[in-house]
Amino acid sequence: MAAPKVAVLFGFGINCDHETAAVFNLVGGDAERVHVNNFVSGNRSLDDFEILAVPGGFSFGDHLGSGRLMGNRMRFALRDQLHAFVAAGKPIIGICNGFQVLVKTGLLPGPSAQTPLPDFVQRASLTLNDSGRYEDRWVTLEFDAESPCIWTKGIERIDCPVRHGEGKFVMPSTTDFDALAANNQLTVRYVDPSTPVGKGMTDRPLPFPLSPNGSMRNIAGICDATGLVFGLMPHPEAVYAKWLHPDHTRNTAPGPLTSDVLGEWEGEGLQIFRNAVEYVLGNR
Amino acid sequence: MAVTRVEVTPKQGEGMRDVRGDVVRRQLMADHNIKVEEVRSINGFLIKSNISKAEITERVNDLFSDPIIEDVLTDTLFLSSSEHFPTTPAAAITIGFKPGVTDNPGSAAFDGFKTIFPHHDHQRDASISTYHTYAFFGLPEGVSTEWLASTLHNNLIQRAVITDANGCSNGQWPAIDYPEKPPQILTPPQRMNLEISDEELLSLSETGLLALNLEEMQTIQSHYRDEAIRQSRAAVGIVTDAPTDVELECLAQTWSEHCKHKIFASKIHHIDPETGEDSVIDSIFKTHIMKPTHDMQKEVDWLLSVFHDNSGVIAWDDDWSVCMKAETHNSPSALDPYGGAMTGIVGVNRDILGTGLGARPIANTDVFCFGPPNWEGELPDNLFHPSRVFRGVHAGVRVGGNESGIPTVNGAIVFDDRYIGKPLVYCGTVGIMPRKLPDGRESHIKTPTAGDIVYMVGGRVGYDGIHGATFSSLELTEESPSSAVQIGDPITQKKMLDMVLEARDAGLISCITDNGAGGLSSSIGEMATYTDGCEIDLAKVPLKQPGLSAWEILVSESQERMTIAVKPEDCAAFDAMAQLHEVEATPVATFTNTGMFHVKYEEETVAYLSIEFLHDGVPQLQLESEWHTPTPELFTPETISLPEKAGHSNLLLRMLAQPNIASKESWVRQYDHEVIAQTVIKPFVGVERDGPGDAGVIAPIHGDPHGLVISCGIAPRYSDLDAGAMAAASIDEAVRNAVCAGINVDKMAGLDNFCWPDSIESVKTPDGKFKLAQLVRANRELERVCRAYRLPCVSGKDSMKNDYGTGEKKISIPPTLLYSVFGDQPDVRFTATSDFKNPGEKVYLVGISKEELGASEISFMLRDSGEANGIGGQVPLLPNPEINITTYRALSTAIQSGLIRTAHDCSEGGVAVAAAEMCIGGRVGANIDIDGTGDASVWSRLWGESLGRFLVGVQPENEDAFIKWMAGHPITILGTVTESENLTISDGYDVLIDVETNSMVEAWQKTLDMTGGVA
Repeated sequence: MAAPKVAVLFGFGINCDHETAAVFNLVGGDAERVHVNNFVSGNRSLDDFEILAVPGGFSFGDHLGSGRLMGNRMRFALRDQLHAFVAAGKPIIGICNGFQVLVKTGLLPGPSAQTPLPDFVQRASLTLNDSGRYEDRWVTLEFDAESPCIWTKGIERIDCPVRHGEGKFVMPSTTDFDALAANNQLTVRYVDPSTPVGKGMTDRPLPFPLSPNGSMRNIAGICDATGLVFGLMPHPEAVYAKWLHPDHTRNTAPGPLTSDVLGEWEGEGLQIFRNAVEYVLGNR
Repeated sequence: MAVTRVEVTPKQGEGMRDVRGDVVRRQLMADHNIKVEEVRSINGFLIKSNISKAEITERVNDLFSDPIIEDVLTDTLFLSSSEHFPTTPAAAITIGFKPGVTDNPGSAAFDGFKTIFPHHDHQRDASISTYHTYAFFGLPEGVSTEWLASTLHNNLIQRAVITDANGCSNGQWPAIDYPEKPPQILTPPQRMNLEISDEELLSLSETGLLALNLEEMQTIQSHYRDEAIRQSRAAVGIVTDAPTDVELECLAQTWSEHCKHKIFASKIHHIDPETGEDSVIDSIFKTHIMKPTHDMQKEVDWLLSVFHDNSGVIAWDDDWSVCMKAETHNSPSALDPYGGAMTGIVGVNRDILGTGLGARPIANTDVFCFGPPNWEGELPDNLFHPSRVFRGVHAGVRVGGNESGIPTVNGAIVFDDRYIGKPLVYCGTVGIMPRKLPDGRESHIKTPTAGDIVYMVGGRVGYDGIHGATFSSLELTEESPSSAVQIGDPITQKKMLDMVLEARDAGLISCITDNGAGGLSSSIGEMATYTDGCEIDLAKVPLKQPGLSAWEILVSESQERMTIAVKPEDCAAFDAMAQLHEVEATPVATFTNTGMFHVKYEEETVAYLSIEFLHDGVPQLQLESEWHTPTPELFTPETISLPEKAGHSNLLLRMLAQPNIASKESWVRQYDHEVIAQTVIKPFVGVERDGPGDAGVIAPIHGDPHGLVISCGIAPRYSDLDAGAMAAASIDEAVRNAVCAGINVDKMAGLDNFCWPDSIESVKTPDGKFKLAQLVRANRELERVCRAYRLPCVSGKDSMKNDYGTGEKKISIPPTLLYSVFGDQPDVRFTATSDFKNPGEKVYLVGISKEELGASEISFMLRDSGEANGIGGQVPLLPNPEINITTYRALSTAIQSGLIRTAHDCSEGGVAVAAAEMCIGGRVGANIDIDGTGDASVWSRLWGESLGRFLVGVQPENEDAFIKWMAGHPITILGTVTESENLTISDGYDVLIDVETNSMVEAWQKTLDMTGGVA
């Protein structure tokens, strides 16, 4: 079977396009870096792809709020293409700045479980870290096993770096959170690594630096009601191999014992991308 | 056109914070111990457009404000709204840009404005300007609003509008207006009469900021007396018997110390009364740097390109080559720490992009030298407090590096009082490129031919950045010009970078270089040497604002520009690519083979200089050098009486808190060090990821563990005793750091970045001969050590005027060499970090401790506290580098083979500090015994900084193999990592140090944590 075609957006300050394309290729995708303007101008069509990735970076310098200006370009110019993409059951991921873009286009969290397809209304935001600082540090993440998210199936807990200054997830009211929680859309949270696996998730805000940004309910990432659109602040692509984990010289970097691509050296982050590729292959 | 004001402020409420205001509040606490109850922030936009206020008001939530987290008002100041600001503040300050200063948020906002009004005909001078307002509540008595404003802005580039407590209670809110730039009138090219007296020549050079000496001015004068030259000029219709202002400026830039490295190229008469030496050195650069590297190039096949390009290139494997360059941006950073440092980092990124046919920047390094952040002494006029310089420089490289998506993988911060006069800001970048392009060309070789079209790509040309090259060739004074200051625009550069690398792979580029010092005059001028000529039309150059004169267009150093040559048949494809990426690319010149640098403004010739005279016409300087060994007061620790038990333990905690040793984590963590998903060894390592990393290690090809090591060494205080020893120590430290990560010592290259005080004897610099002798000794040591290590210097730079003021008030930096190393790491799965791994690990010293306490960190600490008289004594030396390298090779291959996973360089603070840092990284204790580490004094064996040493950890099961592996090399068992929570260091039966690891963590981390916390 032909490898799923993955469009990895780049341009205007997206920075993580090379590695995001690389990790999809490692797990059997056929990733191509496509300049945003090629979709905007109609040179290229989203229809030709089966997965869309919006990588991390500093689109437009994050001026006027992270992801805002890139979100606007997509919201105004790609509205119909993006709606059709999700309606066709194709997965979308936004990482870091890409997550911020998806939130500001309104793709995340999206309307509701009853009417899950995108309406491009912004319902949440990612704002400045409580610390006031951009920081690069490693965090521990735990995933909701019940989440409809197709990207996170079977993943319990991973270590990942965060690298952002605006990662605090906020929504106007607790009922907004409750609605997402009821549908298991609060897919991934920052947790205290000393808790038992599966018991780490809590709504009570964790102290810095366990939660690096003061996110409400410790949210690191969410999905839409279809489970196809997923966004998160941390960088799973940055731990595609164990040699990228800070503990690797201590011989304690976590991850699968063996893999078809990197042998004993596969890192914990790669499974997210493999899940999407396998999902596409399984649903053709 | 009308100006519409839009203001945005964070919503108040449960879980919401005004983080920007909070940062201001915390910094006032951290830097000045001023406790303000609350600071609230407002972002303002001044929109100059013919789109109506009503239309803008309707769309504010689509662009300017985020409706989830922010409130917005149009044409009303938030401060006047009692709904949003029910309490009256004690002070309100608005900060905006001065006219013409780069306003990145403003440009981004205008880009977004065009997205939401896509069909509107935007007028040419429509734009958006931004500002910030801060409202202070609960301000302590006696804090003046003017002073508060001065901490928030730099009046070289920004303006402040202030309302004090009185004004606040009367509702006189600060309303800043749109920074309109007054129209400029274009001055036509001027004839510059040089038939004047020598005094007038010098005065012309000085008042025009040309930075040329008399002999150089006379060389230019006589050039225009040549009859043949006059005739050739008549033929193109340019003034025949004198230069135009365009020509004179162009020569001044090209011949500047910054561009031509005249001191390194000079003929030096060197005498050393102590040895009786009396000799002549014909170019330090050619003799001590270039020759050794060229000799090494004959023996290896991996040195692809050295010295002549924007960075040095080495073959990394069959498919990829890597390159590295480091630059300094000292003078701009002194005037505007933020903008100066940012343009430093994005500028050196362009050096990489301009290497060969274009390399991709993949890693940054930042090394700073500042005055002490807690400085309480006097500050000379026009200088910022070191903590302000620190914050600004850090923010500049943080924004420049992070927004460009290039990880900062290595660096250092060094403190000394003398850097108050001039901070040093070194920025380095590593690049990677495919050995061969799809069209078969080798990517490290430029391939221009006459007839190629020369484009200026990226940003536009403005008044910002005029005279940077000549300005940096002068000492800093109270009247230093603001036009030399710029703010970088990383996003414009990132767009350009994406586009250029695509154009490279499509085979569209025949030649490329960056626009840095000297602007187009340097970039096109240098590239024109390949084909021996060019013709430029300055009227075609896109400008930020109209009215620039021809000479200003030619020499302006406005940022974010590359100069790229494209074959005529490829221009259409190149234009299309620029359009896709929304990058401005304009043909401004053509390569010729006429031998002439021919500059026109439309049809009029404004400069007509031979390529030969432009590049080789500068006369060689003749300089005098005389060495005498400095004799500062001796450091005599044996006379210091320490408390019996706690003596060295207390010293250890104090040493860990010394700014030069203390953790820089809170600063370094704000750099993205992991973008590109390649960083294997990060700046901080260990269980809590907060122990010191020795070198950066990256695996840049995704899925492949083939690695690259990046490290640095710097030891400026050794110059107080001998600048030669300083140079040797810097190189050795860089190599040792790289060895700790398992570098292949047979495939590594170096960069030499010299920062020196003025070393030309004159009234301003009466001790110029000695300072030049320091440079001679440093370079001799550089050659000796690099030859022994077979370490080629492939690129470098020098900054030779690092002084502030003159006479009594003069402050000169200590002569400083930053040595950077980059090289091959065969397999990153086998590397080492400094953290002790587990109890039971055996600790070994590799290398020999000698009686070398001169200029050591402990001597400086105890001298500064008054406990010791001086820092004099034996400075660490490197007598047999050819033996050291064999030990380094053995240790590095032990790491590469997986035998060792714990290694740490032993430098500032000696064995005691190294062991402490390794305990901190592992959160363990250790029992160390320095008995058996030689005959030197206890002080030397504990605190001494002898070169060539490492501390390594060996797992017990590997101990025998390690001893065998290191046979013939100096290794000494020191002890064992323990379960206990203490580091104990003894000398036989005498316990010298017994300190809890947690206390060491606290001492090490607190000094430079200036964040003010997270609450």
